[in-house]
Amino acid sequence: MRNSAPHSPLLQHLLEDYQAERPQGTHQYDDLVTREGQFRARWQPLVEELDELGLDGLQQRTLEAQNLLYENGVTFNVYEDEVRKLRSWQLDPIPYVISPQSWTMLEQGLKQRARLLECLVADLYGERRVLKDGILPPELIYTHPGWLFPAADSGNLYERPRVIFQGMDVMRNEHGEWRVLGDWTQAASGVGYSLENRIILSRALSRLYRDAPLSRLAGFLQAYHRCLSELAPHRRENPNIVLFTPGPGSSGYFEHAWLANYMNFSLVEGGDLVVRDGQVSMRTLGGLKAVDVIVRQITDPWCDPLELRGDSLLGVPGLMQAARRGEVAIANSLGVGVLEHPALAAFLPGLCQYLLGEPLQLAGRDVLWCGEPTYLSTVLNDLSIWQIRAVNDVTQTIKPAELTPDALASLHQSILQAPHLYVAEQPLKPASSPSYNLKDNKVTPQPVSLRFFALADPGDSTSDPESRQHRIMPGGLAWVAEPGTPVMESTIVKDIWVLSPVAQPHVSLLQRAKGPILVTRDGMDLPSRVAESLFWIGRYGERLDNRSRLMRESLTSLVEEGQLRLADTLLPDLYTALKLDLPDALDPEHDPATQPHGEQPPAVEQFMILRKSLLGLFQNADDEGLPRMFNAMLRNSRAVRDHLGDDAWRTINTLHQTFSDLPNTQGANAGQRKLEDIITLLAAFFGLCNETMPHHFGWRFMDIGRITERCIASLELLKLAMISASRPGTDLWETVLATTDNLTVYRRRYRSQLYPAAILDLLLFDETNPRSVGYMLKRLETQIEHLPHPETTPFRSQETRLIIQATSYLHLVDLDTLTDLENSTKAQAALETLLDQLLTPLCALSDAISHSHFSHAETPKQLVTLQGSDT
Amino acid sequence: MKYQLRHTTHYDYSSPVTLSHNEARLLPRDLDYQHCKNTRLSISPTPLRQHERLDFFGNRIVYFAIQDIHDSLEVTIRSQVTTQSRPAPAGDEVHAAWETVVEQLATGLGGVTTAIDPHSLEARLFTLNSPFIHRSESLRQFALDCFTPQRSLCESVLALNQRIYREFSYDSEYSTLATPLDDVLKDRKGVCQDFAHLAIGALRSIGLAARYVSGYLETFPPPGQEKLVGADASHAWLSVFIPNWGWLDIDPTNGSLPGERYLTLAWGRDYGDVTPLRGVMNGGGAHELTVEVDVLPLDS
Repeated sequence: MRNSAPHSPLLQHLLEDYQAERPQGTHQYDDLVTREGQFRARWQPLVEELDELGLDGLQQRTLEAQNLLYENGVTFNVYEDEVRKLRSWQLDPIPYVISPQSWTMLEQGLKQRARLLECLVADLYGERRVLKDGILPPELIYTHPGWLFPAADSGNLYERPRVIFQGMDVMRNEHGEWRVLGDWTQAASGVGYSLENRIILSRALSRLYRDAPLSRLAGFLQAYHRCLSELAPHRRENPNIVLFTPGPGSSGYFEHAWLANYMNFSLVEGGDLVVRDGQVSMRTLGGLKAVDVIVRQITDPWCDPLELRGDSLLGVPGLMQAARRGEVAIANSLGVGVLEHPALAAFLPGLCQYLLGEPLQLAGRDVLWCGEPTYLSTVLNDLSIWQIRAVNDVTQTIKPAELTPDALASLHQSILQAPHLYVAEQPLKPASSPSYNLKDNKVTPQPVSLRFFALADPGDSTSDPESRQHRIMPGGLAWVAEPGTPVMESTIVKDIWVLSPVAQPHVSLLQRAKGPILVTRDGMDLPSRVAESLFWIGRYGERLDNRSRLMRESLTSLVEEGQLRLADTLLPDLYTALKLDLPDALDPEHDPATQPHGEQPPAVEQFMILRKSLLGLFQNADDEGLPRMFNAMLRNSRAVRDHLGDDAWRTINTLHQTFSDLPNTQGANAGQRKLEDIITLLAAFFGLCNETMPHHFGWRFMDIGRITERCIASLELLKLAMISASRPGTDLWETVLATTDNLTVYRRRYRSQLYPAAILDLLLFDETNPRSVGYMLKRLETQIEHLPHPETTPFRSQETRLIIQATSYLHLVDLDTLTDLENSTKAQAALETLLDQLLTPLCALSDAISHSHFSHAETPKQLVTLQGSDT
Repeated sequence: MKYQLRHTTHYDYSSPVTLSHNEARLLPRDLDYQHCKNTRLSISPTPLRQHERLDFFGNRIVYFAIQDIHDSLEVTIRSQVTTQSRPAPAGDEVHAAWETVVEQLATGLGGVTTAIDPHSLEARLFTLNSPFIHRSESLRQFALDCFTPQRSLCESVLALNQRIYREFSYDSEYSTLATPLDDVLKDRKGVCQDFAHLAIGALRSIGLAARYVSGYLETFPPPGQEKLVGADASHAWLSVFIPNWGWLDIDPTNGSLPGERYLTLAWGRDYGDVTPLRGVMNGGGAHELTVEVDVLPLDS
């Protein structure tokens, strides 16, 4: 192989390694290297950068990008709730590069395809000429799960494009020609990931990204925002746009939260929305707030339990009717899922001629629809040479060649019984494209799929579908995988570079030019659900903190006094504080026949048993275990992903990592260190929230949750230490001070002498001590005063009254009755009464707040339960 | 014939309903052989929103939302319905063999010419599975007893209608909202809805097009007795597509061809498409349902 352009030894080496990985003797198109073995011109900026960085530099940048990706919590697959199974993918530092000439052609083709699909869906839910004139077989459409009969009803007043935003998957075949693999019209994912990838890579490879002549992405999202605003019914000024997600359990939730944040939309779930007075509204702290535009990230059948799937818990009853009446705009319209039909690929050339009067520019997959009798016999004649996809599940590709004879026979039978539900195709032979392999530190040729995004120009309501204009994002999401592999099954994602003929100025994706902005500070439009989640983050976070501290004290006690008789240690009391039973083998009250009173297992055995039971809390998924509490905190944090700052979120991710390793903890000392990590990270998290969250309602709810929890924990601990302890005394008091983080303050004031009266003053009455109950009640009072009052009523709310009640008991207590606590049972009784008087209203506080402020959207239910099965 | 139709649906809830969204398919269709006058839908409590539209099948749907807190819901439709006898196939279509019809539905081509026949294409929807009716081998076998080779479509359809009437017993206790067709076939009993579903399933299983029809039938009190108020009931039957002619109604529950005493309300692929009243509500708890139907003949 002769190279006309001289390469550096590094590039020469890289090129040779790369070529060696390519299949020999074929003429498969490669993106990076020409048939003559030279780098293609469009890769010049990248090749130069590679030359500069070297492979080790590239490796280091990749790891850096990987870190950023991980810290930002970029994940796709978060369906499971377990601590350990959160999947991120790997970000390839080598982008997919498209030349300006190639892009012009591709962009034209994608625009035409978007226009064609819009015309098709308008016809299908309108006149249905394509069915009446026999262009499309009716059974192809009517049996697809994306076809919605109710969307074809009369009375639709909404005359805007049905597909506002869509994704299109594209791949180069072995000859280097573009092939469209499929369309995503219902909830196209990936645009958030592509922007996130771009942001991360521009940080990791800043010089390259600053200088390369690549098309910038920011303009596209600005246009998306503008387009959505224009969809608002009655062209309302400053429309309320919401992003409708199935919730944190869905695979694309990260992206939903990301987009909502980036585009400045409220992230809502079905329970946040309600149709009243014919209008869609969002439940907020300030009452119902009208919604103008819904960006839908939830698939068609689940959107409205009145007209669509009655068993949907994610949807909003009456949504379809509100959309039909033009009271709300849904992007994309309900019913567009039918465009994702895999058999349409076979009919698009004909449809393009019929609907647009022009030939289809970009070829799709070569599919045979088995509903066509001649194709059916072709396919069944030798099933093994085909790949089969079922119409209702396009993500699964069945490879008959790999099936057992039984499975093959059963597939044969299924196709024969309902041929119209299957498509067959020859596997696409892909081109190869360079991908950086982190493990082997080299660049190898790999098949790459690309997802592009199209945006419709809303135009005016009179324009015909044929004259709709579209815009294609000059970039997108690429992933390394064999053709047809869904993006979430891939492990490596890439940025897509569309080179522009002239260098474009770098526009930061994070600074978006804004139109006139409505300045608002009241925060009343915070969804009630978000307020609720923030409140529970506060409660669970604090509960976790308190428990971690108690466990730390327990482990300390175990290490220091493990050799003593159990009854002489603090452990029985600490177990009570942890609301745990002592291990059966050590419990003196357990089975006295085998454990005569006073006779204990030897010290070493006792130590092992206690250590096992304490460290067991690290993996215990039931109520006592730490993972359960963290999961609850995590779940609530995910549900308000868009309200937490990036730094706070990074702390959550680090906590997540800590919890993943937790079950492997060996030894009491290691356990103590882990607990300290958790305590520090929780402090960092809440500290960051305090520093970065606007001190509006959301922050107040989180604070109320924390303080309520902390107050209850302090009171319970005091009660134990002063009244019910089995081994009361200075050791236990010291533990109380340590657990409530008061030890240093106490020492500073009183040296090392411990007096119950001083402890009580510090923990209960001293309002200058942020850890005292007095201070906390004051803070709760202030926070609750600032909460929105749903109605102007002259009466105090229940939660205000509860706080006043607790505060009064604290202020009015006769301190003389509490003197000589150590010896006087009367003083102890008085203290117990006081603590109970404080605990009762505080325990009722949570319910009162929830009752006044959180949405009580009970799940709507069906008058008649009817649910047929899939056709 | 001329009738005064009244259909009242009454729900009592055990706990208050705070918000409900509903769809009523209770307004009878206007057809060549059926005219509706003075049609009134009354809903209590009065809905805040009420909109009428036509669904995919041309049925009249009324959407309504109730936002007042309520613990009962009553929906009444009243209409004066004039019916005429229905046309029956009389021309060449009577003699067409059922296999020819299956072929015509499958290709979408007209029988005589080879041009595309839009009616056959449209009817093809009703040859497919629907949420409550799935084609099956047992249904096919059941149909083939009547659909013998080269027998005419019309004759075979009438035979099937008779067969269900003769071999199946009406049992109002038996059916749930959607009895699986295999059970109906096995137990040989059901209500009108089951028999309509069964006939449709049988016809679709051999490649014919059939749709579900809901409506009312004038009933007569036992001899010597007064007709009781509210004693009539909703009824269901089906239509079979006959190419180059149209849709022929048959009533397997009574083994008859619907005529002047039948009032058509709505049609669709199966019961699920024509549910008279459905709704989604917040609150409500358990509920009790009362339905009253009157089909009273008026002097014309």
